Amino acid sequence: MPMVLLECDKDIPERRKHIYLKAPNEDSREFLPIANAATIPGTLSERGCAFCGAKLVIGGVLKDTIQMIHGPLGCAYDTWHTKRYPTDNGHFNMKYVWSTDMKESHVVFGGEKRLEQSIHEAFNEMPEIKRMIVYTTCPTALIGDDIKAVVKKVMKERPDVDIFTVECPGFAGVSQSKGHHVLNIGWINEKVETLEKEITSPYTMNFIGDFNIQGDTQLLQTYWDRLGIQVIAHFTGNGTYDDLRCMHQAQLNVVNCARSSGYIANELKKRYGIPRLDIDSWGFNYMAEGIRKICAFFGIEDKGEALIADEYAKWKPKLDWYKERLKGTKMAIWTGGPRLWHWTKSVEDDLGIKVVAMSSKFGHEEDFEKVIARGQEGTYYIDDGNELEFFEIIDRVKPDVIFTGPRVGELVKKLHIPYVNGHAYHNGPYMGFEGFVNLARDTYNAVYNPLAHLAGIDIRNEIPAQLPERIREAA
Amino acid sequence: MEEKIEDLYGYVQERCLWQFFSRTWDRQENIDGVLGKAEQILSGQQPTNETPLEKLHYADAVIMVKDFRERFPWIRECGAAEVKQLMDGLKTRLVETVITKSTNRELSHHLY
Ligand code: SF4
Repeated sequence: MPMVLLECDKDIPERRKHIYLKAPNEDSREFLPIANAATIPGTLSERGCAFCGAKLVIGGVLKDTIQMIHGPLGCAYDTWHTKRYPTDNGHFNMKYVWSTDMKESHVVFGGEKRLEQSIHEAFNEMPEIKRMIVYTTCPTALIGDDIKAVVKKVMKERPDVDIFTVECPGFAGVSQSKGHHVLNIGWINEKVETLEKEITSPYTMNFIGDFNIQGDTQLLQTYWDRLGIQVIAHFTGNGTYDDLRCMHQAQLNVVNCARSSGYIANELKKRYGIPRLDIDSWGFNYMAEGIRKICAFFGIEDKGEALIADEYAKWKPKLDWYKERLKGTKMAIWTGGPRLWHWTKSVEDDLGIKVVAMSSKFGHEEDFEKVIARGQEGTYYIDDGNELEFFEIIDRVKPDVIFTGPRVGELVKKLHIPYVNGHAYHNGPYMGFEGFVNLARDTYNAVYNPLAHLAGIDIRNEIPAQLPERIREAA
Repeated sequence: MEEKIEDLYGYVQERCLWQFFSRTWDRQENIDGVLGKAEQILSGQQPTNETPLEKLHYADAVIMVKDFRERFPWIRECGAAEVKQLMDGLKTRLVETVITKSTNRELSHHLY
């Protein structure tokens, strides 16, 4: 089956290169959607800006770091509180938002003084915090504010603070993906190997690309503690600025989100010889495989097997209860990129769900190679999908549930299709064994909830005597 | 033999993230490394894992071989010569799909 031109795209035929319907005996050598390319004029993209990729996804997760956003208020507000990454110190990162609140006069006369004042003000207001990331945004990059010079001056005046700069305005790339890249490479160039921490275990690793969404990192940390592995740094779930400066001390880099954080793992391998192990942290089968590989690397296989046996005993019966009821459910996944390939087989193998359509906002072609290799035939693979395309795809594949963000989620609710928050989760964590049971529960609650169906009935018309079979059974 | 290689290829495509690393040289290094260790394990040798990278390739290979033996019981009967043939064939298929014929435009960029 070649690439697909949807009816709604007939006036933007370039979209054909971004949508693939997998047929038997085909693979990504022949049909690989173009990805990480500029959004085509005429489509209403769901993407975020490059600055957002650096701040919202990676930097803003840190639990001890002021995120100073040098720009108008909107850049700060729109990248605050739209992800749920708690911390074990009272959620400092989610409670506060910082901005230099640039106004017209600062744009005209320059914003460096404003930035300098704001940095001092933030440190003075929060004297216990000594770490900061400063971000440029479109307006401050356009007027050429030299944020590095300002930061250098402040660090001279305040020797107890450390500040990192991210120069990645919204227009720097085609999507949030560029921001991931700039932050990764900047951090390894400027901050790694500027600090050493105490080594407390013969086994050390970095866990890269986990963002503690609703406690993912904290749940997985209980496994690493039980295995006696010291995590030098989490990039960046529940993480600290100073831990990330010590990343060079680890023996192994374990990568979950290869898209947002593969760059730093590659550089750590190139510069320090630390090997990179990519794993999937969602799903029973995958999580067990990841733990087995980590343990095989360190030669602690027995500990790994004991942990997996414990977790299976505790959680597998619960998972199977949901599997029995979710078998045959049709799911669509419309998220950032990596969750497409992390999830498509895990929901299929562990829960009997069939993924019928997947769309990525900022995935690269590498992500499509992975997802096409893992995904089913008869499934749509879409790069940078837009609203009209979503409607048309829904018509074609008729999903029972859609994993996506709240914005698209509200949209599909109007079609009486339940959605589960695929970015920030409904009731996570979703990673690990316990987490995947949570995902199964939220999926069950979504597809068995009679409300979506009932809301679609116009009571002025004749009321159908029966609810759909699946919902009757559950009631 | 072709059919057997296809079975193994299908497994690797579906399960192994190491074949999809960022650049051609990373992919080649992983394919050579993991399949090299797998060949040793399947032929009854105990691989020596001296460098961190060798340890990693061993960790990937040992899990893969366990799955091979469970899913494809015929592999337990293969002698060293047949194992080599299988691994060479698998390597050729993988290199073709994820390196030489891949249309991923980032594969050869010299920077990460
Ligand atoms: S696109 Fe530019 S102005 Fe808009 S939020 Fe992103 S950085 Fe700020």
